[in-house]
Amino acid sequence: MTYHEPSGLPLLIANLVVDYGAHRVLNGLDLSIRPGEIYALLGGNGAGKSTTLAAIMGFVPPASGEVRVCGVAPGSAPVQARRAIAYLPENVALYEHLTARENIQYFLGISSERRTNAEIEAAFNAAGLQEDAFNRRVAGFSKGMRQKVAIALALLRHVPLVLLDEPTSGLDPRATQDFNRLLGGLRERGSAVLMVTHDLLSAADTADRIGFLDAGRIVQESVAEGPDRYDVRALHRHFARPVAA
Amino acid sequence: MIAFKNEWLLFRRSRLGLVMILLLAALAIASVVAGLVEVDRQRAAIERIHPLQKQDVSAIANWVTKTGTAGDAAYFTFHETWDPPSRLAFAALGMRDVSPYLLRVRALGLESQLYDSENYNPELALPGRFDYAFVLVYLAPLFVIALFHDLISGEREAGRLRMLEATPGAGRRLWVRRIGLRYLLLVASLALPLVAGGIVAGAHLQGIAAMVGLTAAYMAFWVLVAWLIGRLNIGSAASAASMAAAWLLLTLVLPALAHVAITRAVPVNQGVELSLAHRDAVHGAWDIPQEKTMAEFFRYHPEWSDTPPTDGTFHWKWYLAFHHVADRSVAPQAQSYRQGLLERDELTRWVGAVLPAVGVQAAFTRLAGTDIQAQLTYQDRIRAYHTRLRTFYYPYLFNDRPFTEADFAKAPVFAPG
Ligand SMILES: Nc1ncnc2c1ncn2[C@@H]1O[C@H](COP(=O)(O)OP(=O)(O)OP(=O)(O)O)[C@@H](O)[C@H]1O
Ligand SMILES: [Mg+2]
Repeated sequence: MTYHEPSGLPLLIANLVVDYGAHRVLNGLDLSIRPGEIYALLGGNGAGKSTTLAAIMGFVPPASGEVRVCGVAPGSAPVQARRAIAYLPENVALYEHLTARENIQYFLGISSERRTNAEIEAAFNAAGLQEDAFNRRVAGFSKGMRQKVAIALALLRHVPLVLLDEPTSGLDPRATQDFNRLLGGLRERGSAVLMVTHDLLSAADTADRIGFLDAGRIVQESVAEGPDRYDVRALHRHFARPVAA
Repeated sequence: MIAFKNEWLLFRRSRLGLVMILLLAALAIASVVAGLVEVDRQRAAIERIHPLQKQDVSAIANWVTKTGTAGDAAYFTFHETWDPPSRLAFAALGMRDVSPYLLRVRALGLESQLYDSENYNPELALPGRFDYAFVLVYLAPLFVIALFHDLISGEREAGRLRMLEATPGAGRRLWVRRIGLRYLLLVASLALPLVAGGIVAGAHLQGIAAMVGLTAAYMAFWVLVAWLIGRLNIGSAASAASMAAAWLLLTLVLPALAHVAITRAVPVNQGVELSLAHRDAVHGAWDIPQEKTMAEFFRYHPEWSDTPPTDGTFHWKWYLAFHHVADRSVAPQAQSYRQGLLERDELTRWVGAVLPAVGVQAAFTRLAGTDIQAQLTYQDRIRAYHTRLRTFYYPYLFNDRPFTEADFAKAPVFAPG
């Protein structure tokens, strides 16, 4: 039986189940994101948000269910899938003895991508990294500065799907604002963004949809509507007391 | 290409790696220089002995010609033999510092002269063999450990592995590049000083190429060991410890055990014992009736059997005869000594097929002409020369011809290989 993808959607997850040993982390997760859409994934610690991203990257194999990145299953064709993904991990780690710019060049070089200095600097600026840090070694960087370098890297990879694991952790309010603006740029470019975050305000400001992950599936989803976009109070209530499974 | 340049940048910036490579290069350079110096010293020692030899001979000639006694000439004249170092000897000094490369022999019994080397180059036995082969076989693997023990685990421990894995193109090719870069740097830091040394020494291209090939292969072996241990996924510290254990086992413990096993399996008398047996035979000869000794000697040299018999008093022809008879009496021992050495060499070759450290060391001394084979070849040349020397004196002794000044110049001259 031939199976045709309903679409080349940037991300399509259907009934995904992921186990760590005997521990079922994801249990029938459904999630799909359109091009140019920003999706904020919320949930308590240990809810399985990072695991969701890991499954999309093909780092963990699904016990059952489907993951498709632009129609490609990362489980069976991880390299091909990863070509379509920019991934900002939860814990950013860079090469300490390289400068910010060299780090970007190094990681882009691995995937044979080249960007001009002007493009790299534009990405740094968009991520809010101060100019005097561009050519400094990362070893002297603060957590937020490192985060900005990694965000710039994700930004520089022109791909259909951007996965961000707590991108604003370590960012000051000003940098968070910069980051929110940057998401707008990604939307305009047509990239789909899946952003895991604990920052409710940032999510409400930027996301087209917000999903709550609990007990291994999305238990509630809100869509931005009208000028106020979301009822943040309601979101907060939900976030603070997630529905028990 | 750009990716390779990036790897180089990454490597260059991580000071430790660069320091390691420079340190290994410094060791390689030091070992090559030490080897060249030692070989030069050996050549100079050989050169020095020629004029000394002339002086010696003319001093002896001065008073021997007064009586014209050939026996005095045979007894007192030392004749030089030498084994010049090969052009590749600097890379693997091998046995040359403990076994003689210079031996002055007399027409007397040879066996005790052969193993008296300690009297000749006593100081040479003292310094350890710090040569290129030593740096390659024993030290270079430690640098592989330093550069490779945290190749993958280091990335994991720094939390970068996920960042890398997320990057397309970071699969096998990335690790091939990283391993390849380090491997090339290791081999280059060893091979460049070696090649430079080979050029300075005027060695043949093939010989140098073979040594470079061995270097590359041996380093590849250790990189493979490091990679296999790295695959166990046990973390940087445990990897380093495992690799150090592998080093200890493969370069020190197992070769030492193999050595013990081989010496047990093929017992070989020491050269000194042979030397002593020979001396006993020589000393014993004084108590044996001359006719008996001469009869024995004529079995080996019938051409002199109808010369006038000795009269029971001292005669040089009897003296040289019993020296030769003593040589013949220990010939089976000498043969089994030699056979034993060859058997051990053969077994060592088998061990070398399994233990790269042993195999590479053996291959280097073979290429450098400093192995046991080369040593035995030199011994064969000495034996052949000694026979020419003896038989040179016999006509004077057995025909009672006077030994003149001119006869000194007629003595056979040793020809090195
Ligand atoms: N490598 C792993 N091995 C075993 N269990 C794991 C592993 N990674 C995560 N888990 C478990 O899976 C569950 C989900 O973890 P995950 O990291 O996805 O949570 P999260 O939603 O990202 O939490 P946080 O908000 O704290 O980042 C947790 O119970 C965690 O203990
Ligand atoms: Mg997480």
